[in-house]
Formats: sequence, structure tokens, C-alpha cells
Amino acid sequence: MKYALALCLSLAAAPASAGVAEVIDDQIRPNLAQFAEATAALESAAEQDCRAEALRPAYQSAFDAWMGVSHLRFGPMEEGGRALAISFWPDKRGMVGATVARLVAEEDPIARTPEEFGEVSVAGRGLFALERLFYDEALSGYGEDSYSCALARAVTYDLARMARELRAEWEDYAPLMLKAGEAGNDTYLSDKEARQALYTALLSGLEFTADQRLGRPLGTFERPRPERAEARRSGRSLRNVILSLEALEDMAEALADEPIPVTEEAFDTVLAEARDLDDPVFAGMEAPTGRLKVEILQQLTQAVRRAVEGEIGLQLGVTAGFNATDGD
Amino acid sequence: MPTRRTFLATLAAAATAPALTWADAGSPHYLAAAREASGAYALFGLTDRGEDLFRIPLPDRGHAAAAHPKAPEAVAFARRPGRFALVIDCVSGRVLHELEAPEGRHFYGHGAFIADGDVMVTPENAFETGEGKLGLWSRREGYARIGEIATHGTGPHDILRMKDDVMVVANGGILTHPDRGREKLNIDSMEPSLVYLTPEGELLEQVVLEPDLHKNSIRHLAQTEDGLVAFAMQWQGDLSDPVPLLGLHRRGQAPVLCQADLGEQLAMKGYAGSVALDATGRLAGITSPRGGRVHLFDLDGGFVESLRRQDVCGLATAPGGMVASDGLGAILGIGAGGVEPRHVAEGRSWDNHMVAVRG
Repeated sequence: MKYALALCLSLAAAPASAGVAEVIDDQIRPNLAQFAEATAALESAAEQDCRAEALRPAYQSAFDAWMGVSHLRFGPMEEGGRALAISFWPDKRGMVGATVARLVAEEDPIARTPEEFGEVSVAGRGLFALERLFYDEALSGYGEDSYSCALARAVTYDLARMARELRAEWEDYAPLMLKAGEAGNDTYLSDKEARQALYTALLSGLEFTADQRLGRPLGTFERPRPERAEARRSGRSLRNVILSLEALEDMAEALADEPIPVTEEAFDTVLAEARDLDDPVFAGMEAPTGRLKVEILQQLTQAVRRAVEGEIGLQLGVTAGFNATDGD
Repeated sequence: MPTRRTFLATLAAAATAPALTWADAGSPHYLAAAREASGAYALFGLTDRGEDLFRIPLPDRGHAAAAHPKAPEAVAFARRPGRFALVIDCVSGRVLHELEAPEGRHFYGHGAFIADGDVMVTPENAFETGEGKLGLWSRREGYARIGEIATHGTGPHDILRMKDDVMVVANGGILTHPDRGREKLNIDSMEPSLVYLTPEGELLEQVVLEPDLHKNSIRHLAQTEDGLVAFAMQWQGDLSDPVPLLGLHRRGQAPVLCQADLGEQLAMKGYAGSVALDATGRLAGITSPRGGRVHLFDLDGGFVESLRRQDVCGLATAPGGMVASDGLGAILGIGAGGVEPRHVAEGRSWDNHMVAVRG
């Protein structure tokens, strides 16, 4: 029935932004609200008790909420380096560790004025700076009156502010996507461009999970690199893969105008495999069998990408960026 | 597109005044290659607003083009590792010559005219040895191959003619072989360089970046009238490394490397697709289709602004500023004030570069 209805709509030249409106209403707005609430909760928890142990549960919730929006890397998320300020990873050069260590060692007074903390390098802010403070044993033992306590409060304040601003700015940005092609809209010159932006975010999200979240710890067969797994200190590497895939599946379903059985099956397969994997930070990678399981996860994520291209890309008449996917 | 009547009139005029100029081609401001909605490839001549003046079919995906300095003639190059180049009469839309890279050579998609337009120069890969070459072609002999010189580097990509026929060449440093497609064979040992050469092949100057930037492939070029060369780079190292993607160089001096703040720099995804200087002579711009951004810098290397546009790649000097093209068919005015859409060709994907036509 749903199929027949979708077909009628497309024949009747339904507003081409149907999928765009669904993604915005069903995913982007609620998930941004969730992220803003979770980071606000973390901020108020830090005001109550800034110590690492007390803040870990609220931190985990905030990170969970981030996974619902982390793939929206366009528009408001790209203002002022916000995506990286919230989540500075990958970080091969260890810039987060170095920046946090410097702030703590120098007791940089910027932590005493949380409203100005946005001036700190993006590598010293957001979820990964907090991960150091809360989970790095060399740093996490701080007490209520310490500099690190003030720093934890400043970083949570700054994070909650960014999440709040992100949500507010999306209220101004959503109409640009919904009214693509209208006079005076210089951001989206046609419906197709708005669909393309969401489609690109979907594909890039899948690619990020395959190449970075899974690819970095995979390293090579001779040299697996589990120490490069995302958010391994907070024990979230596999959880981030699962939550991100779940968010991307929701997005795919909202974006599509017609049933997407191939895509759904590909998501189901990779998610089943991931939920089955008993290796939260890919530590089992050192053994060949452990590495193989993660490699399978990567291949299944790549299969989702191909399914999305073959099914949703074709439906919507969009492809991955012509120049973005090229290199010359 | 010239009508049959204007075309015949042009031919008649040509009989008495053989030297046609770019005005006879409708004075295109830009040349750009594209993939069309049908999947076919073509080269377009565009007005300053980005509207079509002429369309010339290409046999395969194009890259950039070289415009003759005076005659309304352009050479469209295949994308690497392609081996075709088409010499096109931009008045009639006719292909005047089909050039093929010699045995053992392929083009990189760029070229330039020297010797007052009498010689065309093409960066090439001598792929059995991996040496970079510049092929020399005589226009007055019907684009006969008349020789070649070494670029003193690997993977010569873009080339510009400077004053007194000095040529500046971007040796990208990346070794490829057509048997292995576009696979990069030497990332760990690559050594990109910027070189200044005479038409006789004399190496006047060679610029090499610091060793920790040896994976930064120097790829595309632009210049000011007074000899400042802007070079755009493509990073082959880890994507989490914040590295400069734009350099400014003046002969005899050290290059100035330009970087935005950390967040903006990483958002370029280590990739600059095109580079141009603005008409005011105050700004240099680079595009990143992967980051959906145009970065503008002042000519002292200071970061000015980041502008957003999905899949933006082509960039050229335009009256009052710069103009960009993207994979969604749009031609956009670019300046410190922002992005101003000028024209959209539905279903068309503009390929890598826009070439400003002067003449």
C-alpha cells in the first residue's frame, strides 16, 4: 500500500522536497533537540559535581545523542569549525591529548571563563577533551577544587552552548532546504540540491564509519591498530559504529520516496553483525580472528553504501558529488 | 552557438581578414568542460554570466583547456591518463586538429601557449621511466610535435606561461602508470616541486617544501600580472593532518604557505581542486569539492573567509572577483562578500576547472 501511494505521489509530481521534509522533521529536529538536552544535562551535572566518576553517565548519554546528528556535516554544523569542536576525531597527531595536557599543566585561566572557552583550539574542546578528563587515568582523579574541575565545567558549558546554537541555527537553515529553488535562496538553487546535500551526508556518514571508525583500528593485516579506535578510552568504539548506523538507517528511510528493501536488508545485516560482536573497543583485533570480524563489519558497511547508491540514489536522481568523489 | 548565417558571414569575413579574434567566437569569458545530463562530455564557451556561447562534444571526460592568446582557438585536454587533445575553432565549433600524446606519454589535462601563441606546451608523463615532460607542439605546422623538455620532477600537472616565456610547472610528485589506472605508486617517496623553466629546458628555479610536507602534491597554478604564483596542493597523508593547501611564491623568495584556523583547515579534507586570483589583485582562492568550500586568503597569506558550496571545484578570475563552477551545474560569483549564483545548467556537472579566456 505504501508503495502504491508513493508511486501515485511521484506521478503527481509531488513536491520533490518530500524526503527532505521527512528527514528534517523525523530525524534532524528531534535528534538535535536530544543532543541539546543531553549536553545541557551534562553541563548541569558538572555544576553539581564536576568529578569524573560523577559525570561519566551524563557524558555517555551526551555522546549517544551526538551519534544521532554527527553525520549532518553541512550547514550549521560547519559554522566556525563546530563539528570538530564537538568531536575532534580522527586525531592521529594526538592533538586532543596535547591540548588538554597543556591546559591542565599551565592552568590556563580560560577555563575560569566558560563563556569564552570557544576561543580555545577545537582540539581542546568537546567530547574528546572531556574523554581525557573523565577516562584518562593520569587526569581523571581530580577533586572539586582543582583546575581540572573548572576545566570540566568550562568544556561542558561550551559543548552545551554549541548544541543549543546548532539546534537554533537549524531552525533558520531548515527553511532554506524546504524552500529550495525559490527566489532569493542562494544556498539551495533547486530541490535536487537539497536532496543531494542530505544524500551526500548519508553516504559520507557510511564512508566515515567504514574508513575511519573501522578502517583506522583495522590498520593492515600485519599491523592492526586497535589503539586508533574512536573513543576507546570511554569504551564507545563499537557503540559509536552501531548508533551511527542506526541513525543513518533512519535517515535513509526518511529520505527515500519509495520502499528501499535492499538498503534495509544491508543495514539489518551489518547491524546484526555489529550487535553480535563482543569487542567494545576492538581490542580483540590483535588476533587474526578478531581482526577478521571487524573487517567483515567494514565490508558490510561498504555494502550498505552500495545499496544506498543503487536504490536511493537512483530513486532521487542524485549521485555522490561529481567533483568531490574525483581527484585530479 | 553561432547561427548558420553568422557562421557564413564570419567565413566570408575571414577570407578578407584571416585573423579571427576571440570576439568572433562571441567573446567567451570562460571555457569549462562538463558531463551533460545524457552522460556525454563536452567543452563549453561561457559568457561572464555563465551562459552557454558554444558547445563542443568531447570523446571522453575532459579536465581543463588552454586558450590561445589571440586566435579564437582552444585546446581541450583529456583527463589523465587520457591521451587526446582537441584543437577547437571556437567560432565554428569545429575540431581543427585531434592530437594524440606520443607513444609512451599521456597528458595531465592542462597546457599553455608560449612564443606568442605559436607553440603549445603540454605536461606529460613519460610513464615507462616516470619522468615528467613538457611536450612542444607547433601551431603553424598544424600542431606538429616539435620536441619535449624535462620538468625535473614526476607528475607535472598544471603549467602557466609567465613573462618572457618562462614556464612555471607544478610537478605533483605522484608516480602513476596507465597499466595501473590512476593508482598512486610512490606516496612514501613522492617529491613534489614547483619549477620555472625556459622554453629551451633550462631549469631557472626549483621550489621544494619542507620534508614533512613531501606528501603535499603541488597540482594547480594561478598567477598575478606581476609574477606572484599561487599553487594549490592535494595532501596524500593522513586526513587528520592539518596542512596548508595553498602556497604563494615569487621568484627568488621562499614560498608563503597559507592556512585557515584548525577547524576550517581540516574541513577542506586535504584537497584543493582549483586555484585562482581575484581581479582586484588582493585575494587568492582555492576550492575543495570534498569540503564544499572556497577558502579566500590575502596575498600575504592571511586567511580571509570560508565560503560554502556543495561540490564546488572550478575557479577563475572574473571581473571584480572570481567565478566558480560546481558539480550541480551552477556558475557562481565568488568574492569576499559571499557566493552569488549566476546561472544553473540543469543536469550538467562542471568538471574540475574553469579557464578564463584572455585575448
